[in-house]
Amino acid sequence: MGCGVPQAIDRLLMSRALQYTKLIRKQDNMSGFIGKVLWVDLDNHLFTEEMIPEKIYQDYLSGMGLAAHLLYEHIPPGADPLGPENVLGFVSGLLTGTPSLFSGRWMAVAKSPLTGTWGEANCGGYFSLAIKKCGYDGIFFTGSSPKPVYLSVEPGGPILLDAEDLWGSDTLTTEKLLRERHGSQRQPGVVCIGPAGERRSLIAGISHDFGRMAARSGLGAVMGSKNLKAVVLTGAKPIPVADSQAMKALSRKPAKLTRFQIPLSSRMMAFAGKFLRNPWFKFRWDGILFTGVLRKWGTVGLNQTSIEWGDAPIKNWAGTRKNFSLDQSKQITPQAISALEQNKYHCLACPLGCGATIRGEGDNQTHHRPEYETTLAFTGLVLNQDYQLVVEINDMLNRAGMDSISAGGTVAAAIEWYQDGLLTDADTGGLALNWGDGEAILALVKAMIAREGIGDLLADGSKRAAQRLKIEDRKAGIAAGGSELAFHDSRLDPGFGLHAGVEPAPGRHTSGAFIYYTLFRLWTRLKDLPKPPLITNKKRQFLPSAETIHQAVTISKFTNFYNALGICFFGIYLGIDRLPLFEWTDAATGWSRTPEEYLQIGHRIQTLRQLFNIKQGVAPKDIKVSWRALGIPPQNSGPNQGNQVDYPAMRRMYWDQIGWDPESGYPTHETLIELGLEGRVAGWEEKYGL
Amino acid sequence: MAYKITENCRGCQACVRPCPTQAISGERHEVHQIDPQRCIECGTCGRVCPYEAVLTSQGRLAQRVKKMDWLKPVIDQKSCVSCALCITICPVSCLALEYIQGNSAGRGYPVLAQPNACIACGFCADICPVEAISMQPKKKG
Repeated sequence: MGCGVPQAIDRLLMSRALQYTKLIRKQDNMSGFIGKVLWVDLDNHLFTEEMIPEKIYQDYLSGMGLAAHLLYEHIPPGADPLGPENVLGFVSGLLTGTPSLFSGRWMAVAKSPLTGTWGEANCGGYFSLAIKKCGYDGIFFTGSSPKPVYLSVEPGGPILLDAEDLWGSDTLTTEKLLRERHGSQRQPGVVCIGPAGERRSLIAGISHDFGRMAARSGLGAVMGSKNLKAVVLTGAKPIPVADSQAMKALSRKPAKLTRFQIPLSSRMMAFAGKFLRNPWFKFRWDGILFTGVLRKWGTVGLNQTSIEWGDAPIKNWAGTRKNFSLDQSKQITPQAISALEQNKYHCLACPLGCGATIRGEGDNQTHHRPEYETTLAFTGLVLNQDYQLVVEINDMLNRAGMDSISAGGTVAAAIEWYQDGLLTDADTGGLALNWGDGEAILALVKAMIAREGIGDLLADGSKRAAQRLKIEDRKAGIAAGGSELAFHDSRLDPGFGLHAGVEPAPGRHTSGAFIYYTLFRLWTRLKDLPKPPLITNKKRQFLPSAETIHQAVTISKFTNFYNALGICFFGIYLGIDRLPLFEWTDAATGWSRTPEEYLQIGHRIQTLRQLFNIKQGVAPKDIKVSWRALGIPPQNSGPNQGNQVDYPAMRRMYWDQIGWDPESGYPTHETLIELGLEGRVAGWEEKYGL
Repeated sequence: MAYKITENCRGCQACVRPCPTQAISGERHEVHQIDPQRCIECGTCGRVCPYEAVLTSQGRLAQRVKKMDWLKPVIDQKSCVSCALCITICPVSCLALEYIQGNSAGRGYPVLAQPNACIACGFCADICPVEAISMQPKKKG
């Protein structure tokens, strides 16, 4: 269906009002990356194409690296995250659109209104290639439109269109309408916000492909603050690659390995959790077991395993598996959930297909199946046993465009506050908040989406709610830097707690953990990295050691590297001896670099993101991780009994080993010179001692 | 880089409609132009031009091919990993996912859903990371 007459007139009028500037012609030697980004000035409805020199790609790759380079330069110090000076970017990956696998991730980036730090949200689906097909590696928005608009990029160029008719619509309705409006010749890539972003909820995300969410860091609120409802991309350009045949040859092995069938039944997954919990030692797991689980059941295959193992926090991180027994979690077994599935869902370039669609009860709508985080947020964390409630809440949050991790963490905190008398019936409007009360949980989520009553207080996350209710830090929600933690317990793997606090985007579970070092098998390709023994004492990882922290630092660098490529971290569970990231990058670009050189790029990106925070006035030492998540005080029962993370010591060692000052977390002068970043901090000597 | 139209063009407009990005413009009976910003180098203009008036990005003369002889993507589902790169890169959305229940556990596999819309650009075969797509002539009969 094409545009209606009013839209066509509107488009004509607006296109005349636009000025379209092309700075330099495209350089034709770009391979893998396009070499160009689009800037959209929402204040004045102006477009500018900026050519990015190849040197920037050599130093930062694309994706997260390109975003760090541009946001660091363009967001002024102390910028209001919800003000026009913030920059919202959508970036693709360097390997996206090449004949590689797992290379379909895109990222939304901006200064986060939730944490005040570097903000990022990583998502799959198909939008990553849609950006590149328009002839850009990224699209960046500055300013704020005086009225709601959406961006459409077609082969003829970009245009801002009126979005008054879309404002107020949920994400699914918006995307459906925009696909009909712009999909006459080919399916467009669409991202949009829902009512949560429009109402500037600080835990709002950005939706793509009818409910895949770039959820974290509250970037939906940034989009809402710019009056930007959606981005619709209908480009058709193919992606240049230096050596396509070499890339295809490299893809054969990982494609074959993802077909691995894991010989485990649904019932055995709960047993696997017990098996992992009981011994005094932990194994050096081969990540291919996890990819097998993901292929068979998706992330929800690990629901009961995580609960039984001690990975999934229960009852707002205060309970244990005994508060949510196997009988209570029987509705979220892999078998029970897969019985509701319609089809498997593969993101772009993914041979694994860990997503799925399910049909909701009592309607004809197809939903994305709730993932592990959403499922645990609204079951174990709040002691709800009803899986249909999870499906319903998942759909509501997806439609509203709200982060289910932060929403779940905030709901759990609210229930605890109510139980402790810190939140009264007067605050909740008479809504009694009890553990496991599905109706109350549903009502609370609805109120948060609508920003009504108590929901208005909670819609900005647990940190803001605790501040407004004058609840002391010790009883505030479980978060790092104000971002609610995902549901992987740092009292089982202290790496989750460490990375949640030291990463420039705090509170992210995908940034790092000790287990990732084992799963990614980094020692197989990078020199001087130790191969972990087959079994190690579980308690040893809680003792800060130079070796463990060195592994954590390596994971941080590596994470920045693969986020610049647009790679899905589930793919890297295969191990980097089986997933040829370095070789793919060489083949795509025509470069020839060592793994160590690529890791140094990751180090550069990580350090530039840290400089971003410092430039924004965030002192790294002020980023706090909730005590409860660190085991202060330790739990006196359950799988993680007695475990405590020595976070201050670990953080100190991490900062020291990554080349940042161990007391302040500011990158040292030597590190800046080593990474070629000294020019970025010109004039900072007096202010920061850099 | 982009395709170019030479002075051989008679302005017959055979290339205008099939171009998937509306990159070609010009008055009837006059030499047409290709907008390099819009051109995606799919080669459709060259395949339909009756006057040998289209040069490829490398400056070679594009050859006309009868539409019935255009190559079509043939997809080997055994090799396919359902990654949908082919579907996403297709400039005319002629490929679509077909879901097969049973042994494949509800995974979608690409099929040539709209063979008449296919412009034989070969982008799908170029991007397929597991070489599950080959461009082949239509079977006779």
